[in-house]
Amino acid sequence: MIETKTLLPGVTLRCCRENRFKQGCLSFQLVRPMTKGESARNALIPAVLLRGTKRCSDLRAITEHLDELYGASVSPLVRRVGDYQTTGLYCGFMDDRFALPGDQVLAPMIRFLEEILLDFPTEGGGFLPAFVESEKKNLISTIESELNDKRAYAMGKLLKTMCRADTFGLPRLGETEDVAAIDPVSLLRHYRTILRESPIEIFYAGSASAGAVAAYLSPLLSRLDRSCGKLAPQTPFTTCPGQDATETMEVSQGKLCMGFVTPVTNRDPEFPAMQVLNTIFGAGMTSKLFLNVRERLSLCYSVGSSYYGTKGIITVSAGIDFDKERLTKEEILRQLDACRRGEISEEELNAGKEAILSSLRSTHDSPGAIEGYYATAALSGMNLTPESYMAAVECVNAAQVVAAARTVTLHSTYFLKGESQ
Amino acid sequence: MTAFQYPELDETLYRETLENGLTVLVVPKKGFTKKLAYFVTDYGSIHTDFRLDGKEYHAPAGVAHFLEHKIFDLPGDRDVSAEFAALGAIVNAFTSYDMTAYYFSCTDHFDECLKLLLEFVSIPYFTEESVEKERGIIDQEIGMNEDSPDSVVFDRLMEAMYAVHPIRVPILGTSKTIREITPEVLYTCHRAFYTPGNMLLCVIGDVDPEAVADDARLVLGSEKKEVGVKLCPWQENMTCLTPEVEGSMEVAMPTFNLAFKCEPLTGGDAAVRQEMVADLAAEALFGESSELYLRLYEEGIIDSSFGGGFETVDGCAMLLCSGDSDDPRAVREALLRQAEKIAAEGLQENAFLRMKRSALGRRIRGLDSFDSTCFRLCAYHFSDFDYFRFPEIYRSIGSEEIRAFLDRTVRAERCSLSVIYPVNKEASL
Repeated sequence: MIETKTLLPGVTLRCCRENRFKQGCLSFQLVRPMTKGESARNALIPAVLLRGTKRCSDLRAITEHLDELYGASVSPLVRRVGDYQTTGLYCGFMDDRFALPGDQVLAPMIRFLEEILLDFPTEGGGFLPAFVESEKKNLISTIESELNDKRAYAMGKLLKTMCRADTFGLPRLGETEDVAAIDPVSLLRHYRTILRESPIEIFYAGSASAGAVAAYLSPLLSRLDRSCGKLAPQTPFTTCPGQDATETMEVSQGKLCMGFVTPVTNRDPEFPAMQVLNTIFGAGMTSKLFLNVRERLSLCYSVGSSYYGTKGIITVSAGIDFDKERLTKEEILRQLDACRRGEISEEELNAGKEAILSSLRSTHDSPGAIEGYYATAALSGMNLTPESYMAAVECVNAAQVVAAARTVTLHSTYFLKGESQ
Repeated sequence: MTAFQYPELDETLYRETLENGLTVLVVPKKGFTKKLAYFVTDYGSIHTDFRLDGKEYHAPAGVAHFLEHKIFDLPGDRDVSAEFAALGAIVNAFTSYDMTAYYFSCTDHFDECLKLLLEFVSIPYFTEESVEKERGIIDQEIGMNEDSPDSVVFDRLMEAMYAVHPIRVPILGTSKTIREITPEVLYTCHRAFYTPGNMLLCVIGDVDPEAVADDARLVLGSEKKEVGVKLCPWQENMTCLTPEVEGSMEVAMPTFNLAFKCEPLTGGDAAVRQEMVADLAAEALFGESSELYLRLYEEGIIDSSFGGGFETVDGCAMLLCSGDSDDPRAVREALLRQAEKIAAEGLQENAFLRMKRSALGRRIRGLDSFDSTCFRLCAYHFSDFDYFRFPEIYRSIGSEEIRAFLDRTVRAERCSLSVIYPVNKEASL
């Protein structure tokens, strides 16, 4: 299903050949350790690269070129995968078979990717200062705009607190002051370093063969001067004392976030059971949290849990009235306790497993979902294909889910409430 | 069912209108595991006034959305979500200004899921107690929207632009209007608009089209029932009510919505053509390949959050853009000047062809998404158009139409601007 080729030392191409789609996608990711020192620079680089090449000297020229390629898109791709941060580009494009006779999309798309990655304009040994300054402003605005989405903001604050001893507490795009300190010369120097030393993950999903994609990529790769290092393996959550924080702001609804930890990560055999537990506990409209906190007690509209398998962290978030904090917290803990005590019905177990299976089954139904799974699974240390993952989920029994629940402990909480209270 | 072929898109669409009035659309997708079904009523938040059995009704704002929440209740304490979950399916719903959709996606047990979808949407079951409880949940949802700058800035814009059209009232209604909703109100609205003649069933996936139609016949029966007559006496002037509105919230930087009022669409081919012309006009005026976008981006007046397009709702339409900016008024002035320029000079032919090619390519790519395709098939169906015919419409559009649209629409009197400033940083008007 997935063909993997090592094109150069440390450069991996993974291909999923599929004729069912009308579009293809290709991602190019440089894999870095997540550190405070470079996360902002890594986040800024793709945005600066997308401002112009030597030939397409501004944004408009770039967009016009993409318009010619039947509305193809190239966007910055900055991910957090456990202890790693990836930076690069994601291309989406129409399949060649819908182009006018004689036209191609994939081959010129990869040539354009090469142009964006390597043929950028420079000035005084750095990226163009105008590009860097305006993209710094954009990135700062993106980072600060997290405040606009109070749920994401509250969750960011919780993770920052509970993961202050772990890389998971570092924001994916860096912090405002780190962005502000970047200059065009050191940014280019950093880019050249990471292009030379980082493992590179290239993923393609579409109708072309792996051989054809590798051939299209070879001019790009032949221009890289490589001396690739090795990344330290992923680590589980690094603990620190828990904290309960409250912040006041001009909002009409409170946001309660709770952070739990478990030693079980996606590298462990208990991972599928933990994933099932998370679904039963708080993911979706049949979970204990939805049915009790929302439906039975009408405490909120939104409530749900997420499990971060790379680290072994479970978070819960709920939008509630300011005076319902204690009541909601107690109910959430009561539902987790119910899981620990084994109060899990046959229906809940099956529904939880089915939800995971269904989402895994449809992984292969869209190029974006295929890329999202395979381009991060190997990096996260998870050694499962969707098929082996499904087989493992199918075997999970209630006792394993209860055992998983018993490893989960509350670490920290964060509550965002209104000024009038 | 009748099959329609679209070789250019590599798609086939099956269509049939059943005896009970329900339209069924099926797009078979061989080799895909996911199956998606939308059961949609041509009824949304703006349709509060209607006539049924010779009587006029004026329902409280927010009733369509309230009804969407309560449809999930069935007699005998049945839990619809749990029944779908047991089949490995995920069920959900949304209410827009002019339609309400219930949908599920699954990989197995499609037939059982489809019957369940048709059943729970068509059986109303509301009690005083459950309606009261839902009020608490919806009140929280309203509270959540009140904290969302994107919702607030848009809702205020609609209030500023429209004098009479009910788009000026939020889809959810308000804490006050939802207090007036009772089981009886819900039963009446259900009877008026949840009849097969006002609904559409749209399925995408590796399924048998005939079996889909058979399920619909089986669950919904063959009786054709009366459909409520929507009362839409909305005579909107093309001049906006208020040119500017502002407020403050906990946001990082000023965020704005800005729109130009457009003539409402009619129906059929003409409407879709009008929509695609407007989309291309938006692209030509402020899309990423436009002269204006580049200039404003380089000057730092807009950033990558900027975007927009043509929006259409039953009885109204607008050219809308939004984003974060320290100077939203400068964006408005620049748009007005640029539209004047395009109106005077016209569009370059090669640039126009490139834009059309790009728009067409993006729509073709979009067909890979079951959700977006299903949504579009439904929305276009209610305006009497077959969505898969979009390539031929694009081909027939000329650059002069774009110029004329911008000339007519992008004018100061048709424009409203809504801005949310960070707390304590309001600009004075």
